[in-house]
Amino acid sequence: MKTKDMNNLKDIVGEENIILSEEERYCYSYDSTRLEYMPDVVVKARNTQQISDIFKYASTEKIPVTPRGAATGLSGGCLAMNGGIMLLMVEMDKILDVNPVDLLIDVEAGIITVDVDREANKHGLFYPPDPGSLKYSTIGGNIAENAGGLRGLKYGVTKDYVNALEAVLPNGEIVTLGTRTVKGVTGYNMIDLLTGSEGTLAVITKATLGLLPVPPAKASLLAFFKTMEDAAKAVRDIVSNGVITSTLEIIDQVTINAIEDYLGLGLERSIGAMLLIEVDGQQGAVDAEAEVVMKVCKSNNAVSCKQAGSDMERDEIWAARRAALSSLARVRPSTILEDATVPRSKIVEMVEAVNKIAKKYDLTIGTFGHAGDGNLHPTILTDMRDEKEEKKVESAVEEMFKVAMELGGTLSGEHGIGISKAKYLRMEIDPASYELMKRIKKAFDPDNILNPGKMFLD
Amino acid sequence: MTDKDKKVKAGVKAKRKETARVFKRYDDLYNCSRCGSCTAYCPVYKNTKDEAVAPRGKLSLIEAISQGKMEFTDKLSEKIYTCTLCNYCNSECPSGVKITELFEEMRQDLIDSDKYPEALDFLKRRVGEAYNVTFDTNEGRADWTKQIPESSPEDYIKDTAEVVYFVGCVSSFSPRTFSIPRSVVQILKGAGVDFTLLGDDEWCCGFPLLSSGMKGETKKLADHNIEAVKKKGAKILITSCPSCYHTWKHEYPGISGKKIDFEIMHLSQYMLKLIEDKKLKLKALDMRVTYHDPCDLGRNSEVYAEPRKVIESIPGIEFIELEANKNLANCCGGGGNLESLDAGLSGRIARSRAMEIIDADVDVLVSACQQCERTLVSALKKLKKEAKRKIKVWDIAELILASINAE
Repeated sequence: MKTKDMNNLKDIVGEENIILSEEERYCYSYDSTRLEYMPDVVVKARNTQQISDIFKYASTEKIPVTPRGAATGLSGGCLAMNGGIMLLMVEMDKILDVNPVDLLIDVEAGIITVDVDREANKHGLFYPPDPGSLKYSTIGGNIAENAGGLRGLKYGVTKDYVNALEAVLPNGEIVTLGTRTVKGVTGYNMIDLLTGSEGTLAVITKATLGLLPVPPAKASLLAFFKTMEDAAKAVRDIVSNGVITSTLEIIDQVTINAIEDYLGLGLERSIGAMLLIEVDGQQGAVDAEAEVVMKVCKSNNAVSCKQAGSDMERDEIWAARRAALSSLARVRPSTILEDATVPRSKIVEMVEAVNKIAKKYDLTIGTFGHAGDGNLHPTILTDMRDEKEEKKVESAVEEMFKVAMELGGTLSGEHGIGISKAKYLRMEIDPASYELMKRIKKAFDPDNILNPGKMFLD
Repeated sequence: MTDKDKKVKAGVKAKRKETARVFKRYDDLYNCSRCGSCTAYCPVYKNTKDEAVAPRGKLSLIEAISQGKMEFTDKLSEKIYTCTLCNYCNSECPSGVKITELFEEMRQDLIDSDKYPEALDFLKRRVGEAYNVTFDTNEGRADWTKQIPESSPEDYIKDTAEVVYFVGCVSSFSPRTFSIPRSVVQILKGAGVDFTLLGDDEWCCGFPLLSSGMKGETKKLADHNIEAVKKKGAKILITSCPSCYHTWKHEYPGISGKKIDFEIMHLSQYMLKLIEDKKLKLKALDMRVTYHDPCDLGRNSEVYAEPRKVIESIPGIEFIELEANKNLANCCGGGGNLESLDAGLSGRIARSRAMEIIDADVDVLVSACQQCERTLVSALKKLKKEAKRKIKVWDIAELILASINAE
């Protein structure tokens, strides 16, 4: 980038919002993938108009622009692959309005997700999507990646709560999309197009999000099984018995042992799998559903199944789940967290396949995750600095994707394609759909200046 | 990264690679998965939104140094020193990265390569020459005792005693905090404890140097202080400053070769002992009280229960926990020498914590650290309009004395 470009950016946002030093830019070169691409300049945006002005300039000069929230993504979505401008969204973090009757909250895109939920809580409401990163990722990033979370089975994912958006197009135009109504069929459903577009079509600046009343009662249950298969069968049967749990998480033996090594919670190391289940709603319904869950677990050979009697017991149950990833992360230097997802009816097959792949490539893979919605997280524990290991991991991941495809699943449940999975995209997307997607990208961004290098390799 | 970015900056007085500590720490640095969870806890990140001062950012910079991708520069130094060393990131890191340890080693390397903030030169000179962190000479260490009615400094300095009270630099020299040591000696006297101060034989514990990366300068101080306490024949050493406590308890054994044959207790722990031994006559205080965990006492020394037990043993008090408490307590902004390097940022961090204290709607905020007390008093003063009632800030010693003196 030239001096002229820098001066123009300074005119738009002011010198204090421009970051140029090598040391600082380096800190905006990475995300949770550990890939690194240096931006030429980092620009802090304070309002939508500034972003519009940046794009008007960048599109004229053909300078790449990459939006960045908190850089907690797992697919490289916010990395400046071609350098250029990194557009920092974290300063736009205000709550604009809460409407407890319409069950809506208006926020700027840079707000941290948990702060949306906290604000909703003040009105007896909550924001249901709860990605693992909710304490440190931004709503803008969550929408761009269509982030999931633990409560997906009952409450869905980010896209189910995006009602309206304000966004800036790569040519600098500001658009407002969606409605503040429950129903709304005017024009194309642009909200669902932008949600999950990984920051490749437009930069989301404001969002109107749906909220729900906090359920008055909930119950947590913990069940242990001799085998992963039994646990997976229980998951299937809970749903087929008419119970939609708010969370239904599975943890395998490798992960149980890692948690024990780290926290020493007193879990039985020889156990094959554990299920963590939560049901919520009106007290009567919660009691009835908990009973069904208990029965189903027992009929699927659960070694034990108990319901938390107090808040403290409930916290203990969830401490294990919360510690799952941290515990695995401590085993080896690199933690490759995958999220290939299959229909719920196929999780037994998926779990078996992951175990076979682990054996075949002599890799340690801990599996935990959102069994209720078929979104498992096989987590490969390795050292990606070792080239041989890296190759093995790549082959194993590719094989996992193949199995997921065969089982009618998808490459990524919630982490996105970005850089990490771009080369596998065609495994799932047929040629005509792929070309359609590229034409959509072109319609939004004819010069390919917004977040180039993501999703598509060509 | 372009070739230009990779290029080593010319003219930097860089340390030779093989001797820099962080060059040997690549494996530990690589453990950081860059997940970003530290950004949810780090007080300097939350108050600046500057990724380069977030723990993840600092670790990436240190890793870049260890891989020869970057040099020791002033900019890097500025970022590394923008930290209160509150240790919150360290205790919550999912990958168990030894963050604080790596930051301290990086600071040592920056000192060795002459890339450190100028303010530290003053600190180094003062502690080296006068054995304290202020402009004063060390002879004035016990001057704060002068205003205690009917007594003179000599009354508090004996040749031998069972207990030595190590006052610390800030409480000894900063008039704003004199009421802490004055309260302590009055409580001890009233309880009939055989105690002494070290007077001008008390030297800076070395914590400010240690945390700045000048570990090498602290041995002399540690050796002197240990010897001074031994001379008194003391069985117990108490400190009212959590950083002195942390340094004595956790750092001295590794720094000094001298054997420590006395018990080291924080004031809150010793006060609880006096209460349990029924040495203090505590009278009712009708007030809502909350407690702020100082980082060096809480997360860095894991003393959580004793201060709370002390507060709750005073009749009449309604004890309210802050929403963020114990190992999850937010920093007051006063740690890691940040106040002397970036007073504005330190003040903003204090303001955030003060807002949480205001939300608890209490009459008294108790802390167990003179530095927390100082920063939070200033922050609360600026937030008078936001507070529903006047909030007093007391050290745990001041609370106990108030209870003893209550009608």
